[in-house]
Amino acid sequence: MKYILMMNTMKAGHGVPGWPKKDLQAHIAFMRGLNKELHQRGELVSAEGLSFPDQAKLVKAGKDGTPVTDGVFAESKEFLAGFWIVDVDSPERAYEVAAKVSAAPGPGGAPLNMPIEVRPIMSGPPPEML
Amino acid sequence: MKYILLMSGTTAGVEGYHAWSKQDIDAHMAVLHRINKDLTASGEFVATQGLAEPKEAKVVRGEKNGVPVTDGVFPESKEFLLGYWIVDVANAERAYAIAGRISAAAGPGGKPTNMPIEVRQFAMHGAKSE
Repeated sequence: MKYILMMNTMKAGHGVPGWPKKDLQAHIAFMRGLNKELHQRGELVSAEGLSFPDQAKLVKAGKDGTPVTDGVFAESKEFLAGFWIVDVDSPERAYEVAAKVSAAPGPGGAPLNMPIEVRPIMSGPPPEML
Repeated sequence: MKYILLMSGTTAGVEGYHAWSKQDIDAHMAVLHRINKDLTASGEFVATQGLAEPKEAKVVRGEKNGVPVTDGVFPESKEFLLGYWIVDVANAERAYAIAGRISAAAGPGGKPTNMPIEVRQFAMHGAKSE
């Protein structure tokens, strides 16, 4: 069963660039270690980090189909900071991996305790929709 | 350059989708299939996934001892990721153009849904199982 583990962040709370270098390095080392472990267990499908919210654009189709972009977002908007796709035997295992991600070290080495959203991935649209 | 195109919606919006006629859903899916086909032909396609419904979502936090704590209660206003496309394109404008096409996909009565699509660049090389 495939699950996506989403790490969200508020635009206002996106303070990562202000972390001391040592804390940032410890955080990245933790994430790399976790990815390695998931890979060795055969559970890692992919993991990606996204650019910061200041580079995000919201796109809508104009009348003639041309893209209309907007980069103004509410302070309270949640942004996806990064995600993992894992292929695991049970939802409990997906939650276990999410808890590990949640406990990644932040400033001063204290666990961030970030909320991680976990959702099953659909293998495809239901047959009746094709 | 890799970009992710994020399609998000609220629980109310997802429930509205269930009320679409089969014909409208078929037409919508046909447009999305066509876009995937075109992106594959142009060599820009990396991945696309649809996610299970928000009611299957859980938010996980790691407790002090690393035990996962799950919660499935979300405010009505919360935006959920419905699906995404990852594309490998020459520039941001091309990513916006693709997002514009997705936004223009037919909705009820064949009218464009005009859904906002969030476009973000990947921060760094991610981890892959291959």
